[in-house]
Amino acid sequence: MAQIPVQTIHRDPQLFYWILIPITVVMILTGILRHYATVLMATTPKKQELPAIREQRSLLRGINLRTNANAISPVSFQARKDYLVNAYEKGDFLKEPDKKGQAAPNPMTDPAAMEGMMGMMKGNMAMMIPQTLIMGWINAFFSGFVMIKLPFPLTIKFKSMLQAGVATRDMDPQWMSSISWYVLCIFGLQSVFNYLLGSDNAASQMAQQMGQMGPGAGAQMFGPGVDPDKQFQAEAENLSVLAQEYTLVGVEERLLETVRV
Amino acid sequence: MLTERELQINPIVQESVLHNTKTLTTLHNLTASLFGVGAGILGLESYLGFVFYLIFSLITSALVYAFRVRPGIVKEYFRSSIELWTGGLFEGLSGFVLTWTLFYGLVRA
Repeated sequence: MAQIPVQTIHRDPQLFYWILIPITVVMILTGILRHYATVLMATTPKKQELPAIREQRSLLRGINLRTNANAISPVSFQARKDYLVNAYEKGDFLKEPDKKGQAAPNPMTDPAAMEGMMGMMKGNMAMMIPQTLIMGWINAFFSGFVMIKLPFPLTIKFKSMLQAGVATRDMDPQWMSSISWYVLCIFGLQSVFNYLLGSDNAASQMAQQMGQMGPGAGAQMFGPGVDPDKQFQAEAENLSVLAQEYTLVGVEERLLETVRV
Repeated sequence: MLTERELQINPIVQESVLHNTKTLTTLHNLTASLFGVGAGILGLESYLGFVFYLIFSLITSALVYAFRVRPGIVKEYFRSSIELWTGGLFEGLSGFVLTWTLFYGLVRA
């Protein structure tokens, strides 16, 4: 069988200095800029009124009691449970006790809810704007250059993706144009950002998209449109059906088992 | 698998597990980029490069296992030993491909 000769393309080394390195540097700097922009734009949580804090904290107290129930003795658990369940069911901790039983207000009209949505918008903007700008910049200046060769073979399907802007029919799909180097940078620079900015950085677009898929539980809990009274009732039910088993029961036997005579 | 009662007596602290995983991820990310530099300078192509990456990241995991995780107690720090061996393999891959391509292009240009 005839061996297909390996394509070699002689490229000007200036391509590296004026395209490859600028794109890489710009990508890294954009990531760092995005990280610090996110840090600076993060709004400090608005100071809340006393009843609102009490409502949240007392619900959290029930949840903490439920998770750590096994660490306290049955008597003290019973006392805490009785107090909390009673108070939850009567609605003692509610922000507006007289509004109990009414439907939750429309989240669109609530100013506190708008604040949260603005925060989300800002996060999206910090991701979208640099992406659009850099895409436009690369398309305007560097489109149509064959830059670099991938060290592993690809099927012909990848040709239209990797060689965007280079309309050469017989070129091996391993050759990449500048726009695909940009795409490779998006995926691969995560480790560089991890090294530069620590692992909790906001630099990578990948991490941002991951974060949107699994929203934090904390944001959901006191989010707009959730009726706190319903949450209290559910928590009261959870507490009252909880089977508590004290961890220290039988601790003497367990201790003696570890002692060799 | 631990029963619920044993888990209460010897609890797994979520923060510590998270910290361990994070440290391992950082290590794998960093070493993957360096392996990419190595593979690119050596001029490895196609399967050879991926095999290079596989072998060297397994060696990294083995070193962590030998020096940081004393044999026999791996369960106390990771949910399963699979997590230690394969955890960083996929996270590092994109960084590896990036630096591999870059240095391959620079050296073989």
